[in-house]
Amino acid sequence: MPPFDKNPLQNKPFKQRKSFATRKLEVAGIRSKFPNKIPVIIERYEKEKYLPPLDKTKFLVPHELTMTQFVTIIRNRMALLPSQAFYLLINNSGLASMSLTMAQVYKDHQDEDGFLYMTYASQEMFGL
Amino acid sequence: MNSVSPSAVQYVGTVMQDEWVESRRQQPLERQGSLGPRPPSLSDPGSREAAEEPDEMDKLKAKLVSAWNNVKYGWTVKTKTSFNKVSPVTILGHSYLLSSEDEVERFRGAFVSRIWLTYRREFPQLEGSTWTTDCGWGCMLRSGQMLLAQGLMVHLLPRDWVWPDAHQLTDVDFEVFRPRSPVRAGGFPIPSFGSPRGSGTPEKPQTSGQAPKCSQKSRPESAVEQQVEATHYKLLSWFGDQPPTPFGVHQLVEIGKGSGKKAGDWYGPSVVAHILRKAVAKASLSQNLAVYVAQDCTVYKEDVVRLCDPSQSQNPGDPSCQPWKSVIILVPVRLGGEALNPSYIECVKNILKLDCCIGIIGGKPKHSLYFIGFQDEQLLYLDPHLCQSVVDVTQVHFSPEVCFLTHMFHHTLLLVSKQSSLQCISTVNSVSPIQAVNNRVLTFFLCNTCPLITLQSFHCSSPKKMPFNRMDPSCTIGFYAKSKKEFESLCSAVSMALSSSKEKYPIFTFVEGQSLDYGLEDHSSSPSRPPTHILPPGKLSRSNNRQNSDEFVFL
Repeated sequence: MPPFDKNPLQNKPFKQRKSFATRKLEVAGIRSKFPNKIPVIIERYEKEKYLPPLDKTKFLVPHELTMTQFVTIIRNRMALLPSQAFYLLINNSGLASMSLTMAQVYKDHQDEDGFLYMTYASQEMFGL
Repeated sequence: MNSVSPSAVQYVGTVMQDEWVESRRQQPLERQGSLGPRPPSLSDPGSREAAEEPDEMDKLKAKLVSAWNNVKYGWTVKTKTSFNKVSPVTILGHSYLLSSEDEVERFRGAFVSRIWLTYRREFPQLEGSTWTTDCGWGCMLRSGQMLLAQGLMVHLLPRDWVWPDAHQLTDVDFEVFRPRSPVRAGGFPIPSFGSPRGSGTPEKPQTSGQAPKCSQKSRPESAVEQQVEATHYKLLSWFGDQPPTPFGVHQLVEIGKGSGKKAGDWYGPSVVAHILRKAVAKASLSQNLAVYVAQDCTVYKEDVVRLCDPSQSQNPGDPSCQPWKSVIILVPVRLGGEALNPSYIECVKNILKLDCCIGIIGGKPKHSLYFIGFQDEQLLYLDPHLCQSVVDVTQVHFSPEVCFLTHMFHHTLLLVSKQSSLQCISTVNSVSPIQAVNNRVLTFFLCNTCPLITLQSFHCSSPKKMPFNRMDPSCTIGFYAKSKKEFESLCSAVSMALSSSKEKYPIFTFVEGQSLDYGLEDHSSSPSRPPTHILPPGKLSRSNNRQNSDEFVFL
């Protein structure tokens, strides 16, 4: 199992690191500066054992980017093979169709604070 | 008497027969040394690197773990599974309402005919390790084998084929009323359907009271039926745990090394999907079959067409143009984070109702199962967690004539054994020379040409269920299409089933075009760089840069 980051702050999910008010302010600020971009938070599933941590959690994504393109970008950042399992779960529960644009996903699933939250995970292993 | 393997006891009814089967069981092991059908590269110790040789401590450890797993998975606590007679049971596209005896018969045929692959012990050592069993680590590989076996069955055997020797169901109750809880509630066994044994008592999987319960009626008599039986045996032999078989544990583990896995590791449904794809591509069977594995929950239809239509890759004018290949489509998914997202349950049910579905490999957390159907809020599965002795498929002959003879012989034998005229089989010296010779011939015949005895361990007679909410979200869904037309109807039927999800978006999608159009790497050309399953140490330093991680990344 890869060692987790020692920094306890870093281990906490983004939502727990910052208050709702701070997050909302942050979205308002960035949206006014870049109205054509969507603020997305990407975090590793807390029990993920196989995929590496991402160096960044906050992404500004163009509206028209498709989920396929987005997933490919993230996969490349992690240097994953195409055959390696990688799933983006919206709000840690549902899968997003790859043909959707980020704007569509954002419209349906944005958080109250204005961010779009996604968790990435591979698959569990079985052996018992 | 020696301890007898569960698979062996399952079949025989008397002490005398136990000993025959026991001797049959040991024989392949004795023969391994002398015959050794393994390719030279596998048996040549010099080809292995010295560094890979496990030291004594590891060997001892592996042996202890193996011994423990053999005990742990060598027997099971028998509990009865209740099926109510009110709502239908679905098995891979077929539904059965268990209120009539006819339907129960059809359900039995459908369940018992599925190929059941379990942990095995005492197989030839896996190359580069000390493992001679997959007990305690190989369950996902076994589930994958079952999925592939189902795909091969629909590919090679007649539609809705039922094994004529399918045994009676054991450990089931059929209840008139809906059970109020998953445990039996107010149910009563129907003697004519279920087995008369009590439930809940720990015991060896089968007792000697379990005489062979083959249905006596349908012997394969016509040439066609014999041929089908032979195909059935041949198919099973591909899954034997000897190095030369195309889908045995040796081959799958070997292929898995390309994905960074080794013997003794745990496998996931996605890794196994790719192992199966490579195994089918590698198999020299040329069964006109290909396996497609979806990436990122997307089936690129053009990629499937290119895989199945050899004319697309060959010269257009090539006269040796082959017909459209049949295809097994595997879709690895993750249906939730920690637990299964309940809004996908309806969708999983609708998928299992489809004719083209060949099942789902997944399980409970850490515990792999092969899901083939459901009733109400419970999944029906085949469980690989029983450690059976290896069957040496290289020693069994699978010709139609032998299969037929075997059937005849098998039943003659049962009659004879009931009359106790062959009770001296194990004490050959004490009987007359003629009888001794007869016995030897008999034993030889049994050991070498009686696949029926060993076939019993490849089919399961006790259906098991578990609630949907215990299903692990990681799984791989399997489909099969024989022709291009079937593939087209598969796409629309599956898309329809997928749209039943209560989630906003379907579990996966079919997309026109090929993955390359979407800027993805080609599936077939796997780069030589090793997979990064585990974070390389150097990368950790990146995340130490605290202030940078708080900035937005522009895409």
